[in-house]
Amino acid sequence: MAISENDVLEEIRDQLEAIKVPGAREATPENTWTDLDVDSLDLVELVKALEDRFEITISDDDLKPIESVGDAIGLTMRLVEAEGAPA
Amino acid sequence: MPAPDGGVALVTGGGRGIGKAIAERLAADGFAVVTLGRTSGDVQADVGDAQSVERVFAEVRERFGPVLVLVNNAGERQDGLAIRMKPDQWESVIDTNLNGAFHCIRRALDDMLSARWGRIVNISSVVAERANPGQANYGAAKAGMLSLTRTIAREMARKGITCNAVTPGVIETDMTTGVAEKLLAGVPAGRIGRAEEVAHAVSFLCSDGAAYVNGATLAVDGALAA
Repeated sequence: MAISENDVLEEIRDQLEAIKVPGAREATPENTWTDLDVDSLDLVELVKALEDRFEITISDDDLKPIESVGDAIGLTMRLVEAEGAPA
Repeated sequence: MPAPDGGVALVTGGGRGIGKAIAERLAADGFAVVTLGRTSGDVQADVGDAQSVERVFAEVRERFGPVLVLVNNAGERQDGLAIRMKPDQWESVIDTNLNGAFHCIRRALDDMLSARWGRIVNISSVVAERANPGQANYGAAKAGMLSLTRTIAREMARKGITCNAVTPGVIETDMTTGVAEKLLAGVPAGRIGRAEEVAHAVSFLCSDGAAYVNGATLAVDGALAA
């Protein structure tokens, strides 16, 4: 099953909502972590959720340049393509 | 008071002494308790070895459930004056007492973060705050646990996870048999402590009532460090 950018965005919104980020449901790819008040620990949770949901592994190096929802979507799509999409 | 989501309470070094008393007390409180020992207990691991801890946490998750309460009690002593202490005596004690606590915390936090609930209690020692000649390794490891405790508390405070330490003084266990009387002279309370008294403090720190107690060090030492 192919994964769309919208699937990743929805997963990110779900996770932001779970970690009680205000306005999580309206988060857009343009929003940065600073905009959303997402700190490093929140990011760890988000990464864990993306890894579990899309069966990918996100390294610390992958994560360094990721500053926004859009960056996270792009990274996830790249890794899913490289590692194979979940059934 | 059981942990949420079918979580378990993992007590390292839970087979004897203070650890056994803690395991019994938490079980009486309603927790599903799993004891970890080097060669005994419900599951076995060398906590000083990160890979061994990885493996045992996977086993605990598989057989019992997520670890939502962690009591880092596993410890060892290899006493001797620092001038005569061999590097491997230093490293072994730091590995088991301090590195072991870190390895277990790191793995347990995964489960706790998912549940947004967790209780970590590190069993340090009075020697973390009141140095004892002959215990440079043990004292450094136990003092390190206090700093580790405070850091984890700060990192995880927003997530419903607490991390506290208990510093037992002279407690009657196999480890103090024969030397308890000698140590008694310095204890203001005038008596040796019981393992159950340490367990009671741990029980409190694991309770819902202690949700706002975070990064604290609770002395159970008859005023020895006061």
